[in-house]
Amino acid sequence: MAYKGQSPLVPETIGVKYVNPNDLTPNPHNPRILFDKAPLATLQESIKKVGILVPLTVYRESKTGRYVILDGQRRWTCAIALKMDRVPVNQVAEPTLVQNIVTMFQIHKLREDWELMPTALKLEVLMKKLNEKSEKKLAELTGLDQAVVVRCKKLLSYPKGYQDMMLDPDPEKRMKADFFIELYPVRNDRVVNKFSWFSKDKFTHRMLDKYHSRSSGFKSVTDFRIMKQHINNAHRAKKDRQISEKLREFLKDDSLTLDHLIIKSASVSAQAHKLLQGIKKLEEEIKHLDVNEYYGEEEMWIHLERLMKLIETKLRASGRRIKR
Amino acid sequence: MRTPRPRASAIDMKRMREWMGDFGSYRVAINEARIDRWLNQFAADDQDLAARLLDAVDFITYTQMVHAFRNILASLDGWHIDPASRIGKWRFAPFSGSSGESGDTMMWQFRHANNLTGKQYRDLFIYRRDLLGEDFGPNDTVVFVDDFSGTGTQACDAWKEQLEELLPNSPRTYLVLVVASTAARNRISDETGLTVVNNIDLTGRDNIFSAECAHFTEKEKATILEYCEKADKREPRGFGDCGYVVVFAHKCPNNSIPILHKRSRHWEGLFRRYD
Repeated sequence: MAYKGQSPLVPETIGVKYVNPNDLTPNPHNPRILFDKAPLATLQESIKKVGILVPLTVYRESKTGRYVILDGQRRWTCAIALKMDRVPVNQVAEPTLVQNIVTMFQIHKLREDWELMPTALKLEVLMKKLNEKSEKKLAELTGLDQAVVVRCKKLLSYPKGYQDMMLDPDPEKRMKADFFIELYPVRNDRVVNKFSWFSKDKFTHRMLDKYHSRSSGFKSVTDFRIMKQHINNAHRAKKDRQISEKLREFLKDDSLTLDHLIIKSASVSAQAHKLLQGIKKLEEEIKHLDVNEYYGEEEMWIHLERLMKLIETKLRASGRRIKR
Repeated sequence: MRTPRPRASAIDMKRMREWMGDFGSYRVAINEARIDRWLNQFAADDQDLAARLLDAVDFITYTQMVHAFRNILASLDGWHIDPASRIGKWRFAPFSGSSGESGDTMMWQFRHANNLTGKQYRDLFIYRRDLLGEDFGPNDTVVFVDDFSGTGTQACDAWKEQLEELLPNSPRTYLVLVVASTAARNRISDETGLTVVNNIDLTGRDNIFSAECAHFTEKEKATILEYCEKADKREPRGFGDCGYVVVFAHKCPNNSIPILHKRSRHWEGLFRRYD
């Protein structure tokens, strides 16, 4: 893949050779992860028996002269542990910043436990350098799930001061990306943004205060979904003025809980409760469904497929991650 | 650590005024009533020891921080206030914290200390989130600014978890601190690409519980530890067992002993870390 005016996104091959593993440096764009010990031990055992069969991919950094690993950090870790004096490497041309980021993204598929902010910042570099904003194209380019790209873009929409909170060196002070992702729909709600008193940053600041002090009954970042639901319901029931006042009071007063935002005539909680009971019942029936027994019930299977698609659509629309 | 007065020195108005003078610029007012309340938490027989502990507190004023930052920046190779005379691109970023936290406070002090508050210098100061986008090369310099490092753990973890990834092309990176322990300096230089530059060094002698600290006897150290356990069972010697008695005008580090700063059901620290 190549972008207009850009070099190809994969670096050019130079050739295979042998180098001392101590002369190799891990790629700084490789997300800071600890490799799982068990698979690493299996790999080490295999390398001990048969050596490294697939050469590591490396490039030589022109400014420092050091070899940097593009692909093969696990093999390199094993080679160091086994005190090997040489490893096969496939040297490629020094990648540009964009090539390096894209390669690292494609080799190391994003894992859930990675912190999202550094990934978002890399995505921002790609977006700027390639002048590419499409979530679909960015997902194809990086191998990231499109939902992850969307989450990253949400983080990048926050002022820099908030983004820095996700990069705090102190893990206790470091804000989780989930806080800002869950807050996003409320912070950017069109109805809320029309309230004369509303300021995105003051609102975010107050939410951070409440979250840190666990005031207003805040239990988790998913509480913002409840807040959004109350706002949506009020708007649907044409109660914008009431919800504006209630939200303003809620922000000021730490003793008020999210229930303060409920407008009784606009609430859907009763319907939601009824729906939940139905879902639970259906869930139980599907769980106990004997596949062999119902194998020929074609219409039932078609409806189940439709249901699955419908559930996925609704989950996506609500911004939830679908775990497979 | 400062040298405390001789044992059995009077706890009189003169001494009280000296403490208030020394600690007067702390973020929470340190007045006679508060010092009295703090002293009265000690048994009558231990009040002389408590007073000597206050004498020993290393209080770092804003003026000292300003001097430290001025001297440090002047000592960095390649820096010049005139962009034409600088080597490579220079950027300054708070190492820790966010709005209102110590990293930001330090950055503000740093700018003032070095006359870099003018509009023309605005681009020199960046957020941590800007590091990757700046695309620094080996001839460029990034200066992180903070107040203190006691163990170096936070700096080492931050480097491994995030900073190295955001500085892929190995620019020169300094971590400018007002105070750092020798252990933290060594650890940071061994484990990261950061070069620590600090104004005040803390050694083993600054750990009140260490054998090298000669200002207090072993019996006195044991008594201090008992009070510290009362203030904070989990970390009675301060975070990382540092045992320091350092207090900054803007905050008391958690590496300092808890009887100085801890606020709990059983103890009221003199230098509260939070309001």
